[in-house]
Amino acid sequence: MSQNTLQDFADVWIGKISELVKTITGTGPVKYLINWSRMYALWPVHITTACCSAEFGAMMGPRLDPERFGLQAVAGGLRQCDLLIVEGTVTKKMAKRLKIVYEQMAKPRYVIAMGDCACSGGLFHDSYSIVNDVHKLFPIDVYVPGCPPRPEALLSAIVKLREKIRREEVFA
Amino acid sequence: MTAQPTPSPTVTRAAGPSTLDVSVGPQHPGSGHMRILIRVDGDYIVSSDPDIGYVHRGCEKIAEYRNYVSNIPHLERPNIADAIHLNWAYVLPIEELHGITVPPRGRYIATIAAEMNRIMSHLYWMAIMAGVFSGHTTAFMWGFGDRDLFIELAEMLTGARLTYSFLPPGGPRRDLPYGFEHRLTKLLDYFEKRLPEYDRIFFSNPLLVARTKDVGILRREEAVKLGVVGPVLRGSGVKYDVRKLEPYGAYADLDFEIPTFKEGDSYSRFRVRFEEMKQSVSILRQALHNIPKGPIARKAPLAVPEGEATGRVESSRGEIAYMIISDNSDKPYRVKIMNGSFRNLIALPFLLRNVHVADMPIIYGSLDYWPVEADR
Amino acid sequence: MSQAGPSREETVINQLKTRFPEAIKDGKVDRARRLTITFEKDHVQEIARFMRDEMGFDHVKGVAGVDYPTHKKIEVLYFTGSFTKTDIEDLLVILKTELPRENPLIGSVTSIWQSAHFHERETFEMFGVKFEGHPDLRKLLTLDNWEGPPPMLKDIKFPEMGQR
Repeated sequence: MSQNTLQDFADVWIGKISELVKTITGTGPVKYLINWSRMYALWPVHITTACCSAEFGAMMGPRLDPERFGLQAVAGGLRQCDLLIVEGTVTKKMAKRLKIVYEQMAKPRYVIAMGDCACSGGLFHDSYSIVNDVHKLFPIDVYVPGCPPRPEALLSAIVKLREKIRREEVFA
Repeated sequence: MTAQPTPSPTVTRAAGPSTLDVSVGPQHPGSGHMRILIRVDGDYIVSSDPDIGYVHRGCEKIAEYRNYVSNIPHLERPNIADAIHLNWAYVLPIEELHGITVPPRGRYIATIAAEMNRIMSHLYWMAIMAGVFSGHTTAFMWGFGDRDLFIELAEMLTGARLTYSFLPPGGPRRDLPYGFEHRLTKLLDYFEKRLPEYDRIFFSNPLLVARTKDVGILRREEAVKLGVVGPVLRGSGVKYDVRKLEPYGAYADLDFEIPTFKEGDSYSRFRVRFEEMKQSVSILRQALHNIPKGPIARKAPLAVPEGEATGRVESSRGEIAYMIISDNSDKPYRVKIMNGSFRNLIALPFLLRNVHVADMPIIYGSLDYWPVEADR
Repeated sequence: MSQAGPSREETVINQLKTRFPEAIKDGKVDRARRLTITFEKDHVQEIARFMRDEMGFDHVKGVAGVDYPTHKKIEVLYFTGSFTKTDIEDLLVILKTELPRENPLIGSVTSIWQSAHFHERETFEMFGVKFEGHPDLRKLLTLDNWEGPPPMLKDIKFPEMGQR
């Protein structure tokens, strides 16, 4: 009986504190600061899906230099990364692992679907071993068409994603 | 997930009380889109089992449902860094079945595109497999920076950055555009000055030499028995190159060498690719100098007469052979693809025995295994 | 340089025909550096051993299966070559054999040509051809729990394929 009242007491006060945190972070300056720090430190996961990875590598090169946006392919753990770039065709064998990787990433996490094959099936749409609708695996933030898309197109997708992050609510 | 890893065919160390099975999975900074199940005992890998098929898109089955020309885009995607060679090996048997020969100018243009592709592919290898896997990010930046210059020229020639679809059956799609020779000559002059810099900062770097010398030694008899191809074979002392044995394109008229090293360790495989870049520069200069005038392509009808033919080329990862069986229609009956990465796969469990765990990225990088090509 | 005697390709065919008169059904030269030899499937290991030890063909470039449902057979092709013997190193010898479609069973050559290991595994997965004596015959490329039919057979039609 007393255990129950202690539980209710804790629930009420945790609820009140989380409401307070939400109100504070909803204010302009705090929300701007949190979103600014998120959009300037997007770390992509080290997983290559198929042939679009060649253009992803070209984007990370010295010509476009995504490091000025905070995009570094650091060899850290999976839990520290927040951007999953699905590059190219997703086979059924790889789809299982992509879903596991997506679920292991810590929130907030974003997904870019790069290439025609990730957007809607692409050149290999009628193969027996690929997944055509990647958007059913996890929610996708930005779609980049192309086969393969130019590195500049991928970089503009990242800029678009940053704009999206800048505008979003902190506890989405 | 999958069950216990079975011992690979070339090793016989079963699981014991001191071993641990580790899955170096598709999400790993050092492995690409494939999984290697390794069995470690302390710091030593005692056996390994490659688990491939993460990019298996069924290219051979799809090829039976599209006509011969529509097959070219999806058959050149397996190795996007070296797409011309996959394309060329596909059209050589088709031209043989038609009984047509490409005119000399067309062959020279295809050779120029192919050698540019070889340099691009080796720079990609240097950037990622040799650079990032061994912790040398400057090589990554330099490799991709110079590779982009070659990609710009390929864009000028074919209209696409990486996936050209440049060689339909009968010859190249377009002639050399105005100003191409001048720009390519300037780029080759610049690149020839860069190669000694690569040597100084990367290939002769004492840290890299210490990491790669005597690591993953593949002796000559073993290389022959395993049937490996490409720089892996030439780094073990076997001088085998399809450009000299069965000259296609313009290679019969051009003068070049096949770099071969006999030590068989990762360092010699690295050096083979570096020397091949130098040879490609020389081939490009000769081809630009000697290119004849005339038509570039012959018309080839879409329906191919009945028969079987095999064609092969030497790509940057090894010998690529395509067998095409045709049945008088415009869709092939069977397309069989044999490429360098799939044939080199057997070297991976063979070499990953009694090596340190830290040697695994070096051995994997020296084989230049491209999973998309091996899985097709 | 022209010579009156048989070419290298014909020498290879004659050597095999003399050694295995009953096992070799046919041998023909397609063009320069290409020859196709058709043989009986039961003698595959003897022929492979002879080719490796006496003739110098030391590796296999690939193993292909071809499905002919109208003739009720599956053909298996071995593409062999030589790395070490200089007078035949530019030849590509294609060994062809037929298997009945209901029960495609053939001896494995991995004990002789180790390079055929992964190729035979892939042919097993794609066509259902069982190679007896292969040390590790399991599937390689398709999905983990694919128990389905071998994908490359002609009568296995995936409904979404070819709808364009």
